[in-house]
Amino acid sequence: MIQLESIEKTYLTGDVLTRVLKGISFEINPGEYVAIMGASGTGKSTLMNILGCLDKPTEGHYHLDGVDMVNLDDDGLSDLRNHKIGFVFQQFHLLQRTTSLKNVLLPLIYTDDYPENAEELGENALDMVGLSDRVDFRPNQLSGGQQQRVAIARALITNPTIILADEPTGNLDSRSGAEVMAIFQRLHRDGRTIIMVTHDRDTAEHADRVIVLDDGQVAKDEIISQPRDAEAELAALAPTEEEAL
Amino acid sequence: MRFLRIAGEGVNSLTTNKLRTFFMMAGTIVGIAALTVIMAIGKGTEQKVMKRVENFGPRSMMLIAGGGRALPPPDTSITTLTLADAQAIRDQVPGLEIVTPQAWAFDVNLKYEAKQTQTVVWGVEPDWHEAWKWYVSKGEEITDEDVATMSRTCVIGSSVKRDLFGDKDPIGESIYINKVSLTVKGILEHRGGAGGAGGDFDNRIIVPITTAMRRVMNVDHVGAIRIITEDTSLMKQQTEQIETLIRERHHITPALEDDFRVISPLIIADMARGASRTLSFLLMALAALSLLVGGVVLMNILLISVAERTKEIGLRRAVGATRGDIFSQFLIESLSVTILGTLLGSVLGGAISLAIGKLTPMPAIISWEPFALAIVFALLVGTFFGVQPARRAAKLHPVEALR
Repeated sequence: MIQLESIEKTYLTGDVLTRVLKGISFEINPGEYVAIMGASGTGKSTLMNILGCLDKPTEGHYHLDGVDMVNLDDDGLSDLRNHKIGFVFQQFHLLQRTTSLKNVLLPLIYTDDYPENAEELGENALDMVGLSDRVDFRPNQLSGGQQQRVAIARALITNPTIILADEPTGNLDSRSGAEVMAIFQRLHRDGRTIIMVTHDRDTAEHADRVIVLDDGQVAKDEIISQPRDAEAELAALAPTEEEAL
Repeated sequence: MRFLRIAGEGVNSLTTNKLRTFFMMAGTIVGIAALTVIMAIGKGTEQKVMKRVENFGPRSMMLIAGGGRALPPPDTSITTLTLADAQAIRDQVPGLEIVTPQAWAFDVNLKYEAKQTQTVVWGVEPDWHEAWKWYVSKGEEITDEDVATMSRTCVIGSSVKRDLFGDKDPIGESIYINKVSLTVKGILEHRGGAGGAGGDFDNRIIVPITTAMRRVMNVDHVGAIRIITEDTSLMKQQTEQIETLIRERHHITPALEDDFRVISPLIIADMARGASRTLSFLLMALAALSLLVGGVVLMNILLISVAERTKEIGLRRAVGATRGDIFSQFLIESLSVTILGTLLGSVLGGAISLAIGKLTPMPAIISWEPFALAIVFALLVGTFFGVQPARRAAKLHPVEALR
């Protein structure tokens, strides 16, 4: 359960105060798949950082599973990110020279209740994104789409409350992008809460709900009655060379 | 354990960047190797010094005729040191247990029946035995009566006994120096080994000092005075008192060079340290310099690596690493580098020490102390130069780092 209540964020650059977020309020229920949309400069990244507990708002309250993160110190926020949030970034942010499995297990390093069967969990997570045959591969041996899928497996490893994806298809070709969208829809069907930040309407319409930001405020909050079906889009795309052979 | 997992991340980052890790270690390796060699040479030298001082007598001083800085062979042409000087020292310098003059002659031809040998003759007083802690293994020592009566007796060293008498009992036999006959009254304990001046310690005979001066050498001077102090803490002061006294008695003004010198354990130790001291100073400078330079290089590489790994740090923060976790990881990287560098440096230094011990006259002893010291140094260097980069890494804001 996510509750945003009059979130404001103001930056001081030199002598100039910039109000990036001007009172944002909404709720996201467990199991929702929400896209946050907006052109660049609308405060989308700032909101994403706050939703991810990477940054605190200047004003307002943000309750994540009943905890107001505004009251937490830096260590408390780290702990919250570790347990409640799984990040998927536009640039994947995998550790180079490190295997897929090790990358997936990274968040567990910073948890105080390290699971006994960590490796098994890691392999399961990789299986969930269709990479069970890439466990020992390093990022430079993987395609962009595969790297992003490793990143999704990493986001799943701590079984977080929300998956927070920032332009997850921004660096991918259409096919890999569709694959990632298909994975998100599958995770959504399994009951995961997903928040995806994007500037692209087509991408956003894979979600059930789209919140549109404009000038630091919620301009529109709409339910998508017929989300795009990533599986169908994938099927419609030309087969890969690999599949054609 | 969370800390162990974080430590693992630190070590991991070192093993995946081997070349970078090597450069981070290089200074520590050289510094610790130099430190190990210094300690090995220092320890070897101190042992050599102790042995020399032990041989010389830790409470002993030797007032030797003839100036200059080096050790014997003594200058037998100097005739200014006399029995009266010895008496003056006894009378005027307090705190001395023994003051015993000795006359000496080198390369003396000694005859027994048809056999001959070259030896050293020392004319001594009875307390010579006590002063050198050198007694007879058979027969009798030189006595006061021998000195008073200028008796024609002698006590011979074990090498002389072997050369002239073989298995025969020499006690009561007469040996000749030129035309002077001396009756053997005792045999000195076997001492073995080479003295400071080299040669065989046991190739000597001792005769009463009066007999030596009058009948054998026909001189009025002595070669040396051996002095044993009651208290080693007074030795420095007593050395000065003796020097002042003898200068006065020999009318030596400050402009003139001394016609004697006083050898003390301090001087013996200085001479034994000799070259290894210079080398130790050089190595000490090298060790300090390489640890400092190595530390600065280490810090710079760490700082560069913090800058290079901004995204990695941001990612770790995003997935739950606290500032403390990031700080720990970077500090552990720094400490691991210096500890590994120390291990390699210790091995390298040990190997160099062994080589020095084998290939040069300098003694080197390998022990655990330099290693313990090196680990302490490593932890200091690793901490000192690692904290700043680690702090910088920990301070990075996750939002900035991920940008």
